[in-house]
Amino acid sequence: MNSLTLAIRQEAARLLEEKIVDVVIGFEAGTLPLKAQPAFITRKEEAEKLVFNGFCQNNLAAYLTRFPKEKRLGIICRGCESRAVRALVIEHQHDRDKLYLIGVPCTGIIDWRKIERRVGENTLQAREEGDEVIVTTRDGEHRFRRADVLHDSCARCLHPNPVGADIVLGDPLPEGDPERAWAPVLEFEALPPEERYAYFVQETGRCIRCYACREACPMCYCTECFVDHTAPRWTESMITPGGTQAWHIVRAFHQAGRCVSCGACERACPMDIKMTYLVDKLSYDMMQQYGFEVGASDEKQPPFAAFTLDDRNRFVR
Amino acid sequence: MYKILPKADLPRLIEKWMEQATVYAPVRQGDFTKFEPLSDPAQADLYYAANTRYPPKSLFLPQSEVMFRVKGSEFEPTGDEVSSRVVLGIHACDTRALQLLDGVFVDRDYQDPYWARKREQTTLVVLGCANPCETCFCTSVGSGPFDKRGADVMLIDLGNEYVADVRSEKGQVLFDHLPDASQEQIDASRQVQAAAAAKMKKPFETEGLKDKLYNLFESGFWATIQQSCLGCGVCTFLCPTCYCFDIVDEVQRNERVRNWDTCMFRIYSQEASGHNPRPTNTERTRQRIMHKYAYFVDLFNEIGCTGCGRCVRYCPVNLDIRQIIRSAQAWEES
Repeated sequence: MNSLTLAIRQEAARLLEEKIVDVVIGFEAGTLPLKAQPAFITRKEEAEKLVFNGFCQNNLAAYLTRFPKEKRLGIICRGCESRAVRALVIEHQHDRDKLYLIGVPCTGIIDWRKIERRVGENTLQAREEGDEVIVTTRDGEHRFRRADVLHDSCARCLHPNPVGADIVLGDPLPEGDPERAWAPVLEFEALPPEERYAYFVQETGRCIRCYACREACPMCYCTECFVDHTAPRWTESMITPGGTQAWHIVRAFHQAGRCVSCGACERACPMDIKMTYLVDKLSYDMMQQYGFEVGASDEKQPPFAAFTLDDRNRFVR
Repeated sequence: MYKILPKADLPRLIEKWMEQATVYAPVRQGDFTKFEPLSDPAQADLYYAANTRYPPKSLFLPQSEVMFRVKGSEFEPTGDEVSSRVVLGIHACDTRALQLLDGVFVDRDYQDPYWARKREQTTLVVLGCANPCETCFCTSVGSGPFDKRGADVMLIDLGNEYVADVRSEKGQVLFDHLPDASQEQIDASRQVQAAAAAKMKKPFETEGLKDKLYNLFESGFWATIQQSCLGCGVCTFLCPTCYCFDIVDEVQRNERVRNWDTCMFRIYSQEASGHNPRPTNTERTRQRIMHKYAYFVDLFNEIGCTGCGRCVRYCPVNLDIRQIIRSAQAWEES
């Protein structure tokens, strides 16, 4: 067991014993070697179930809006989760004083798809050892450099350290390299429009509208999503381009200035659809044009959500 | 009737079929396979061991399907008449699923002509699984990697050739001209089948399961297991036996269409009054499990799950149906 897991268990048990929170949201071992499962711990004895490793692929902040506001939640927060919690608190989705953030600096999530692409679908065991991931399949042992099998969003992560946490377990990590983080956005932007469109068509063409991307996203919490609205209906119902492209475009726009770049949407997608490139561009524009970055402050509203009476544009008055 | 088909001759055979029918087979798309109509026999990828990511139920119940169009005051058929089709390389679990769905779509009081027509026009050349995946559990739900029910032909891989177990007239049409398999080859194919089933783990027992689930209906079990569920449609859309659909009038195009729907979505059970009889994930998760392991058993005396493992592999939060069933069996209400 790694030392972080131990520290998380101790802290979770303490929070429950001292009745600081009603539930601790973390991870427990999964049923598949390359995956962990979200866990909801309400008794201190159960804290022993908690694990923390590179196979914890979900953004736990997605569960925050699923609990009533009076619930006191303890949440294991990596960089992206802590920024999502901040954004959600700014959007009044939970009271900060009802949250206890157990911060954990994060070395990135292992992308099971990258591993299976190399070793096939039948993994029997997987473990991390320092900078390596060791996977056992029916053909034997395979070793990977961690950096080679990180999820793309994690490989270009800017802020691996939690913000605004109540406690931080583990040592802080160096911040990410902005040049590396934004390189894919600039590269994609440099492509001719028809190539960009072709890529968008190709990716959305596989969409089955299961909305796993929406449900896995901490920032998608509308009680009624625009695609679910039936009177009047706002989108084409079929999995034709008119339906799937509209979904991906509007979903991306709703994330402008709100996306925390965790990549949970892509990890959840059963059809391997690339979609972070759309919102990453919007996040880049938010930085460039408004100097805004999600999670950087605990009070600044996202530019597209904020308005003031002295706005220089007349339309908001 | 057992025939022998050297693997080297398969492309030629597919080509021959293509003269008479549209041939579907798993085709590589990035990191997974999907059933597509072949334009060249070489596109067929039968050696990709895992199940296709997208379930072949879509060949019979497309995710989106135009049912008819309205022109003035007249109904117009869609004109998508299905011609003769061969589905090659479908696995036993997915074939079994089609057979279970026949119970829903054609065998009872109502017939679904869209489904029935496609089934009639299709010959299933099933590829048995000599090496089932770690997430497969067909043997736990009353099936197996070489379950021949629903197959027109079952191919058994002997390395350099297939033994073709031809089981229907439709299958005979495709395989009649091939040489008979020798007794030795038939025996070898039986060994392959027995070995494959023996390799599989049994993650749960189904004895008494239905009654146990009914007993748990009002229990705290469902609220406990659903906590991590995100409420997306991955498990049901990729499921070969989930068949729910929603009918929509696309009025701008004068079309009546149907699309896959899923009990895991809130709006699935949302009523026009505003009332939702399955208001939370708890009721919805219960519905999904009960439908497969209790209601389907009541209706058809078969479990409505074929153990393909897609929901296990692709659930974004690793909510594993095998674990759910095990937990249900072990659950003691406190």
